[in-house]
Amino acid sequence: MVKIKYLIIAIIAVGIGVLAAFTLLQSEERRVKKQFSLLSEWASKDPGENVLTMAHKTQRMGTLFAEKFELKTEIDLMSGSYTPEEISSLAARGRLMFSNLSLKFYDFDTSFPEKGIAKVILTARLKGKSTAGEYVDETHELECILKKTEKRWLFSYVEMVQVLKK
Amino acid sequence: MSVMALYRRIHQFFFPSLTPKFLIRALLVALFAYLFFGHICIPLRIRGYSMEPTYHNGGVNFLWKLCYTFSKPKRYDVVAVRFAGNRVMLLKRVVALEGERVEFRSGRLFVDGKEVEEPYVRYPCNWNLPPRQVEKDCIYVVGDNRGMPIEDHHFGQTSMKRILGMPLW
Repeated sequence: MVKIKYLIIAIIAVGIGVLAAFTLLQSEERRVKKQFSLLSEWASKDPGENVLTMAHKTQRMGTLFAEKFELKTEIDLMSGSYTPEEISSLAARGRLMFSNLSLKFYDFDTSFPEKGIAKVILTARLKGKSTAGEYVDETHELECILKKTEKRWLFSYVEMVQVLKK
Repeated sequence: MSVMALYRRIHQFFFPSLTPKFLIRALLVALFAYLFFGHICIPLRIRGYSMEPTYHNGGVNFLWKLCYTFSKPKRYDVVAVRFAGNRVMLLKRVVALEGERVEFRSGRLFVDGKEVEEPYVRYPCNWNLPPRQVEKDCIYVVGDNRGMPIEDHHFGQTSMKRILGMPLW
């Protein structure tokens, strides 16, 4: 009788442990996803957005990135390391070229290869209209690495996945 | 069949009684449709002009995912390459296989130094691309529309892992 009692307690303890680990992992995944939703919100631009809103958004965008952020794209000019301040000024310059802009992320595939490191593979879609009236609609697969610093997940590496190599 | 019986049948068809037998049948049909159209034969809408005139912008087709279960893509096959996530793919034609050398000379395709006939290419083309070897576990894919400048056309070698299947027609 005593044995059964201990067995039940052990099963309950393991169950609670599994549930706690699952919940913790889920919440970390949610936190990572939240960073993408903030990036999407602050990178996007509504038509007629005023200068103050723009300054506020680009300033805050920099806070999502690690002190040393690395970008790897097919365009060599854009690839390289950036500081959060550089990201903010780059974003401000980039947004000026568009009258409206929307950046959305889909198909999240998140994993945690090491403690404090999150690897996310996702689809990014950039849609908008340039100030010259040209429509832009680009979709790419991105591989992103975020590092946890003081309870916050910061972008430290983004690579545009090359699907076709000429 | 009397009018009343016909009316009853039509009524039964559009407003069936929710009997357990009917619910199980509906559930099975829904499950089959989800598996078939979600994982085996996926509906797709073509956007862009890179496969003109074989496939037109705005066209509708189905992606048959079982075609490469027991075989590998062959030259001239039109394949769907996974571009981003599970929803964005590229329709391209296989022109060279693993280990082959591919190049373009004045718009003509050469594989291992021999010119390859391309009856599906209809628009004049003046592409030039130095020879390059297709890497291991990769295939070389190009769109049928060579009427656009080479810089604007998405083509090249891609991993076999990214090949999702082929269009049904």
